Amino acid sequence: MVASLASGALPGAVPEAGSGKVTSPMKVLGIGLPLLYSAAFFVAPLAFLIMLGFWLVEDFQVVPAFSLENYLDIAQHMFAKSNYALAIAQSLWVSLSTAFLAVLVCYPMVLAIVYLAPLSRHRLLLMLAVAPFWSSYVLRLFSWQILLANKGIINSGLAWAGLESFQVSLIYTQSATRIGLIHYLAPILIVILYVTVANIDRDLIQAARDLGATRWQAFRRVILPMSRTGLLVSASFAAIVSFGDVLAGALLGGGAGKSVLGSVPLFSNMIMSEYASSTNLPRTSALAMILVLVMILMLAAGAALADRNKIDAG
Amino acid sequence: MASVIRPDPLAADGRWWRVAGRLYMAIGYLFLVLPIATMIVFSFQKGQFASIPGQGWTLQWYGKLFTDGTLLEALRNSLIVSPLAATGGCILGFLAAYALHRFRFRGQGAFSVLLVLPVLIPPLILGVAFLGLLSRIGLQGQLLSVILTHVVIVTAPAMAVIQLRLGQMPASLEEAAWDLGATDLQTLYKVVLPFTLPGIAGGWLLAFTFSFDEFIIAWFVSGFEQTLPVAVYAYIVGSVDPSLNAVGSIVFGLSVLSLIGVELLLFPILLSRYRSATS
Repeated sequence: MVASLASGALPGAVPEAGSGKVTSPMKVLGIGLPLLYSAAFFVAPLAFLIMLGFWLVEDFQVVPAFSLENYLDIAQHMFAKSNYALAIAQSLWVSLSTAFLAVLVCYPMVLAIVYLAPLSRHRLLLMLAVAPFWSSYVLRLFSWQILLANKGIINSGLAWAGLESFQVSLIYTQSATRIGLIHYLAPILIVILYVTVANIDRDLIQAARDLGATRWQAFRRVILPMSRTGLLVSASFAAIVSFGDVLAGALLGGGAGKSVLGSVPLFSNMIMSEYASSTNLPRTSALAMILVLVMILMLAAGAALADRNKIDAG
Repeated sequence: MASVIRPDPLAADGRWWRVAGRLYMAIGYLFLVLPIATMIVFSFQKGQFASIPGQGWTLQWYGKLFTDGTLLEALRNSLIVSPLAATGGCILGFLAAYALHRFRFRGQGAFSVLLVLPVLIPPLILGVAFLGLLSRIGLQGQLLSVILTHVVIVTAPAMAVIQLRLGQMPASLEEAAWDLGATDLQTLYKVVLPFTLPGIAGGWLLAFTFSFDEFIIAWFVSGFEQTLPVAVYAYIVGSVDPSLNAVGSIVFGLSVLSLIGVELLLFPILLSRYRSATS
């Protein structure tokens, strides 16, 4: 109460109605209800997930225990049979390369919107870019499936146009997975990057140009360094989403899509299909915990790398 | 651009940059609309396997959709789940946003982080976690399970939009109400809520879209009460059926409607800083 009185007395601060009396019921409700809901349906399930990894299944029943069996069994299969290590490697490779490509595709798009289109058109162009986001992701993937299929729209269209020698065979490879993911991520990345690039002071770019910098130099020395944060945020966002996504890998990658690492499923797809076939929830929980762990390591490594580059650049 | 006003020493090479940039932009937008255009066009095409040239126009896939009923029932399930989840998310989001706007309290930062956290955790993890807990208390495999869990993930986007709108409310508005003798509840009901309403509506639409499109959590917790994305997934894995294009087109039609709603509600909030309260 003392704290709230003090802040209420500050000029410009939002005054507290009834400060000095009992705590406002609005305050109790406003903080209490969301907190309660979050504790029951968010914190509790996550805490339980950690616990569940140590439980066991006996006679198709989940039984409470404190056993490392799930983790030990997974460790045994890291390099044999299920080959989790390879799946994790595949996931890392696909998600990191997707993040890189997605930013590489979206950044020039945003530069073109910001620097080539008149300001009055920006809103329309952004709306158009975000439009796919409002349609269903699963159905968009189905659409990509019929586009990319071996006798699908793209290949039959190429043949129809007399280009039989140009046929793409992308479906059920991790390249198709990447296409699906990039299409899903692009609207979000474009918005994040637009906010970054649109906020770069144009006078700085003009100053660089007036001082004799070429367009390339102005980009390299002014625009790119000032987009750094946006590029990092959008790349890590893309990496997290791709790493946890199951749909693109299942529908376009066909479960075990081919990549330079071979025809190996993504780790996320493995978790999903293992649960579908076994419904062994404790084991699935243990696998999910491993996914969380790998993701945290990936982010930490990314953050460390970004930090080092910052020092190098400075 | 400023370079239009001043004589540009590199205008000649600048033109090529412009042409290249516009071309790139065109290709980018083509990539973005391609699957959606495909979906709409081929929902009216005869052949079961989509190819070029087309095999003539038909409405049979829409007809099949309505006679078959699996996807339609899933659509109905989704139209029960998503509005309720969005409403729940908006109630929690509004309460939290208002508390953060009005009051100073200890752990304020932790409170908002806790509410935003669900969107940062991969839904695959949340799906496993939700199923784990819900199956312990016998709440799995119902529409209610999907609603309860979707509320968790849609609260953050709803709250973000409502917070933006609350931030645009001049502090003098609430002060005036109190000075004129309104109670807390009256101020909330007669001043704050009407002002925030566009934000709540925008947040609701955003929350609805998130829930309507959510797959993996629903896949884990819904059991046989499939929502639309879950049913569509099962359908795709099972067969190639252009009925999916018909569903896709209907869903896209729905989302165009919500897009118009968003255009009218969300963008003005995002783009304006301080609107007068007279409107």
